[in-house]
Amino acid sequence: MNIILGRMLIGFLDADCFYVSCERARLPHLMGQPVGVLSNQGACVIAKSYELKARGISTGMPIWKARPLCPEAVFVKRDFAWYEILSRRMADEVRQVSPAVEYYSIDELFFDASWLSRTFEAPLSEAAMRLRERIHSRVGVPVSVGVSRSRTLAKLAAKSVKPFGCRVLLDPEETKSFLHDCPVEEIAGIGWRSADKLHARQIRTVGNFAATDRHVICKLLTKKGEALWWELHGEPVLPLDTIRPPHKMVGRGGSLSGPTRDIERLRAWLVRNVERLVEALDRHGVVCETFSLSLRLESGHYIGDGTTLPEATAQFPRLLAAARDIFNRVYRSGDTVTHMHLNTERLSFRHAVQQSLLDRPSAQDIETARLKRLINKRVGRFAVRSGATLPLHDIYADPTNGHDICDIYGKLCF
Amino acid sequence: MCDGVSLLRSEIPQRLIRQFKLESRVVVRGEQAPEEIRFLRREGRPWLPAWHAGQLGIHAWGCRSRQEQGFPPGAWCHREHLEAGYWRHLQPEPVEIPANYVLDRGIWYVVRDGLRGVLLRRPRDVPRVYVLTEAASHYYHVMTRHDRMPVLLHERI
Ligand SMILES: [Mg+2]
Repeated sequence: MNIILGRMLIGFLDADCFYVSCERARLPHLMGQPVGVLSNQGACVIAKSYELKARGISTGMPIWKARPLCPEAVFVKRDFAWYEILSRRMADEVRQVSPAVEYYSIDELFFDASWLSRTFEAPLSEAAMRLRERIHSRVGVPVSVGVSRSRTLAKLAAKSVKPFGCRVLLDPEETKSFLHDCPVEEIAGIGWRSADKLHARQIRTVGNFAATDRHVICKLLTKKGEALWWELHGEPVLPLDTIRPPHKMVGRGGSLSGPTRDIERLRAWLVRNVERLVEALDRHGVVCETFSLSLRLESGHYIGDGTTLPEATAQFPRLLAAARDIFNRVYRSGDTVTHMHLNTERLSFRHAVQQSLLDRPSAQDIETARLKRLINKRVGRFAVRSGATLPLHDIYADPTNGHDICDIYGKLCF
Repeated sequence: MCDGVSLLRSEIPQRLIRQFKLESRVVVRGEQAPEEIRFLRREGRPWLPAWHAGQLGIHAWGCRSRQEQGFPPGAWCHREHLEAGYWRHLQPEPVEIPANYVLDRGIWYVVRDGLRGVLLRRPRDVPRVYVLTEAASHYYHVMTRHDRMPVLLHERI
């Protein structure tokens, strides 16, 4: 449901170095240590503590590069299942003090903060601090909180006080002086392309942006930019979505656990990734109209293609057929592949699609899919899977491959 | 494999700290970080903490030189060799090596409880503790470039 906005207060909550904080929640001795969270393959630092960051280690850095920069660093393997548990706990805590919560990403939430003051029986800034303390003590994760009249302002406010800070931005004068020095790229929704356009017009700070004529912004950055302009003036135009609308895209894939040109293995990866994709589409309750496949070769080149499906679908046989068709077209035998990515776009909620336009599965397909879901839910993910994935025995035998980044959050966090 | 372990100072009884003069091994990795006590392979006479027969003790770690004949050379013991009975004559007994962080090829990584080890004995000699190793997981191999890894207590990485 979209919340109708009156003079609602919007809160934004952002966990501080979330993955590391999750590890610290269960291993308190990591507190104060230079901690790096490693990717599933053990090759790259995907998250770091502030102590590690201070030594010049950045996200995505390979471990062999990070080690000499900080020989005292301690590394831990990422555990998305655990991070997801704490993410949900965080959301549950916020739901106790807010009538509407939007899951924005694994470690970020927007919420209706209108009742915060009353719930904590304290002035708003103190109430925000109390919420922060509550999450820290109950979930074990430090967060930063921003509260303002719009999403854009609330997010800017929270980002400005990281780590473990709170900022309430309601006073127009205070807001104005706060925005004055803030770089325009800090606005959520302003990518580098938009930033370039703005810079060319000498619009470098959020203050400049807000002070620019609305029509000029609209010309430069279309309606989207105009929406941000209103938001920065404390007029909420981007509503809270407590049930996310269909994502723009849902994708699955990643590294193939070592380069390969073994055709059987590649075909098996294709099947595994389609199974994961169908699982993700199921979770979102969406069907897709377009499908694309991309392969990264050892040479660094990408090959792939996309296709429009005959009708909106989330069915395994349909998507697998599309995937195989593209694979057969683009892959030349002998090419060594390192990564595979499957993507779907033009998504819609299943219940929102006119039934006559939906790709209707046969009774047998429905029953097969239902049983598969049931067994896998009870016995474990991938307990029942396509026989075509047999060449990947090693991948399925490693239980750590059983988790994805849960992307109900709509964006990846690294 | 394993070049050393580090244990929170707070997890080692004061009695052992005094008895083995462990105070000199206390280190911290940062201003706010807790104190650790390190046991490294590169020391002249390396030691390891180990739980054996319900007691936490500090034991001689492995065998450094050829002069100490009779004990397997090195600091590690292949789990497969132990299971195949290679060291039966040294009366192997399982031990648990408590650790918070383990060092391998310059990489410190976090462990939940520690490592599995084995205690070997010979007449008229101090018993020795060895770290048990097994084939490295893909993750471990990428992280350390080693094809063997210690057998971890209560977890797999
Ligand atoms: Mg965050």
